[in-house]
Amino acid sequence: MDASQASEAPDMTMFLASSIHDMKNSLSVLTGFMEDSLSDAALREQPIYKKMAPMFYEVKRLNDNLLELLTIYKVDRKFYPFDLAEHAVDDLMAEIEHQSGTLLNTQNVQLELDVQEGLYWYFDRDLVMGVISHALNNASRYTRGHLRLAAAEVDGFLELRVEDNGGGYPKAMIEEGIAVNRGVSFNTGSTGLGLYFSAMVAKMHKNQGRVGEIVLENGGKLGGGCFILRLP
Amino acid sequence: MVFTTDSHNAFAERRFLIVDDFQGMRSMLREMLKSCGAKDIDAASNGNEAIGMLEKNKYDIVLCDYTLGAGKNGQQVLEEAKFRNLVGLATGWVVISAEKTQDMVLGAAEYTPDDYIVKPVNEATVRARLLKVMARKETMQDIERALKSNDYKRAIALCDEQLAARSPYTSDLLRMKTNLLMKSGQNDKAQAVFEQILAQRDIPWAKSGLAKIHLLNKDFETARRLLSEVVESNRTYLEGYDLLAKTLEEAGELDEAQHVLARSAELSPNSMMRQRSLGEIAQKRGDLDVAEKSFRKTISLGEFSVFKTPGAHLGLAKVCAEKNNTSEAIRVLGEVHKHFDDPEAALHAKVIEGAVHSKSGNLAEARKLAGEVAAMVKESAARLPAHITLEAADLIMGTGNKDAAADLLKIVVQNNHENKQLIEDVKKVFVKGNMEEVGNDLVESSLQEVVQTNNKGVALAKEGKLDEAVTLMRNAKSMMPNNKRILLNLAYAMILAMKKSGRDNSMEREARECLERVHKLDPGEKLYGEYRAMLEALASS
Repeated sequence: MDASQASEAPDMTMFLASSIHDMKNSLSVLTGFMEDSLSDAALREQPIYKKMAPMFYEVKRLNDNLLELLTIYKVDRKFYPFDLAEHAVDDLMAEIEHQSGTLLNTQNVQLELDVQEGLYWYFDRDLVMGVISHALNNASRYTRGHLRLAAAEVDGFLELRVEDNGGGYPKAMIEEGIAVNRGVSFNTGSTGLGLYFSAMVAKMHKNQGRVGEIVLENGGKLGGGCFILRLP
Repeated sequence: MVFTTDSHNAFAERRFLIVDDFQGMRSMLREMLKSCGAKDIDAASNGNEAIGMLEKNKYDIVLCDYTLGAGKNGQQVLEEAKFRNLVGLATGWVVISAEKTQDMVLGAAEYTPDDYIVKPVNEATVRARLLKVMARKETMQDIERALKSNDYKRAIALCDEQLAARSPYTSDLLRMKTNLLMKSGQNDKAQAVFEQILAQRDIPWAKSGLAKIHLLNKDFETARRLLSEVVESNRTYLEGYDLLAKTLEEAGELDEAQHVLARSAELSPNSMMRQRSLGEIAQKRGDLDVAEKSFRKTISLGEFSVFKTPGAHLGLAKVCAEKNNTSEAIRVLGEVHKHFDDPEAALHAKVIEGAVHSKSGNLAEARKLAGEVAAMVKESAARLPAHITLEAADLIMGTGNKDAAADLLKIVVQNNHENKQLIEDVKKVFVKGNMEEVGNDLVESSLQEVVQTNNKGVALAKEGKLDEAVTLMRNAKSMMPNNKRILLNLAYAMILAMKKSGRDNSMEREARECLERVHKLDPGEKLYGEYRAMLEALASS
């Protein structure tokens, strides 16, 4: 871009990216504060606690969305530091469980962990954590009190599943889940970002000609919606 | 992972340092560490304060923010602490940052943090990550200790031991092992490990490692193909770009090399090393604008770094001179004396200053400086890097002192008799002084002298006159301390001598030093690994 052009039309994406970065910092202070207050036992008895729970959910959602936007921007500009490394899957699952602890507690949701033992896999930890945390947040909204987080090796893929005991995904969502892997999007509004992000992360994981994918289906062990991330 | 009293104890037993410029963040981290069980926690609010505390105390875990306001950034604090041995092998270093950057994930391997946490930070993450770092540190401690004392054989054996026990750090261990194999000259074994890994999975570091071996073997085609694949499917993998640029440069494809380096510098805008490489290659190609910009950026990035070297100043001065900006070139050279307490850099700066004056027509000043340089290099010429000696000879030749220049050129030839490119450059300087024929003769006779000395040494060794062989090669080494062939033959003669009459600590050390010097001069030299193994066999017999 030459200088004359720059003064007329600011590079909006640059502005957006740097403001997102800034907003994320504010939100992280806010989440820290709320998390701290929510884990204070004395507060549990106060009426404000009931009001804070949905507030916390919304703040988490904002944080997730901003993080996803920023990551998509960086991947698009070929600036995302993709960090493929081997990780212990049970460690990852435990970390996710602890991270979402406050959120699930405030919503009275039980999380059941089902992780195949001794499993190691190659992936970008931050990206996969982003996808699974988002899926958990989402599921916590639609579940009737139970969630299952499972990890196992299936047909040479690492399969991470987030299952709930809610009413399941509507048919259109499930189709959207199939389409987004192929890069076609029907753009169903607010759900678009999370799905796009998850599919992007899945596709960034490749191994010897095989590519990662996401799957949305109904059923699973808890009979509700299942979000599945499969990594080669 | 269950957080039990064990984890509580792990925190209680250790000493922590928090480095963050933001008061709110410092107290938040302190509270988190406390509720994990930590008792002994210090905090610093900027890089200098952190270095001061690291000088005084031994910490087990350092939690350091990446951005620290004015002065050093978090990465520079880490580099300085490691470089100055302020933190031991057992210290875990965790970087905290608002976003993940490529610099953090893949800086220079020895100076990457043990982990990084992207904000927002919460207690669960801090606890889980720190416990992991502590456990990993414990596993790797013995290996790193062996590595620090240059006992590669033991370090490799320890890696194998851990790998056999199906360690959770398999990929760290494999990476460490291949690194060690290459360091000890066992490139074939390293290659086998890389190929074995790659048969299972496409892993960027393994493919880059394999490419590095092909590069050392001067198989540029294969190295280039592998590295192109690496960066094609990992668009932000810096090590891949760095190696690809190096491959292209060695293969003589400078345009493409600069293009690749520009991309890696763009990806890690805070990397001093990459800016400097970009400046150097642009300078080589005559792309003076890019060279000037990159050198200036290198200098500003290096302001607070322990790794700053005078190279960027010297390069910038040359570029300014090329652009006929004599006064700026002289000013930049003055900075070298101010910022670097380094006799070699001071000498090089003087050489360049002379060349700058010579180019701008100030011959009196050039001659005066050439005289000073000639006096300075007289003693040290053989130990100086060849390119500095060559530049000094060029200045001295250009200002008329042909004999002194010829003496220096002879030293360059003798120390590098197998380096064809350098010998061509030497001949060019002779041509400049209208001494083409004298030069050719001198080059020819110097080369013969080296070859004869080597042959004589080999013959003596064959006859079993090992002491004589060692003495002869030792004398040759004092004349030509950078000649790879002489160093190798001296080491070999000493190994044979010790095989015959038993170990000798000081000779063993001398042989090892010769071999390490060879490895530094040419990491691709195959005899290095062979002789090193012989030495190790002697030491363990």
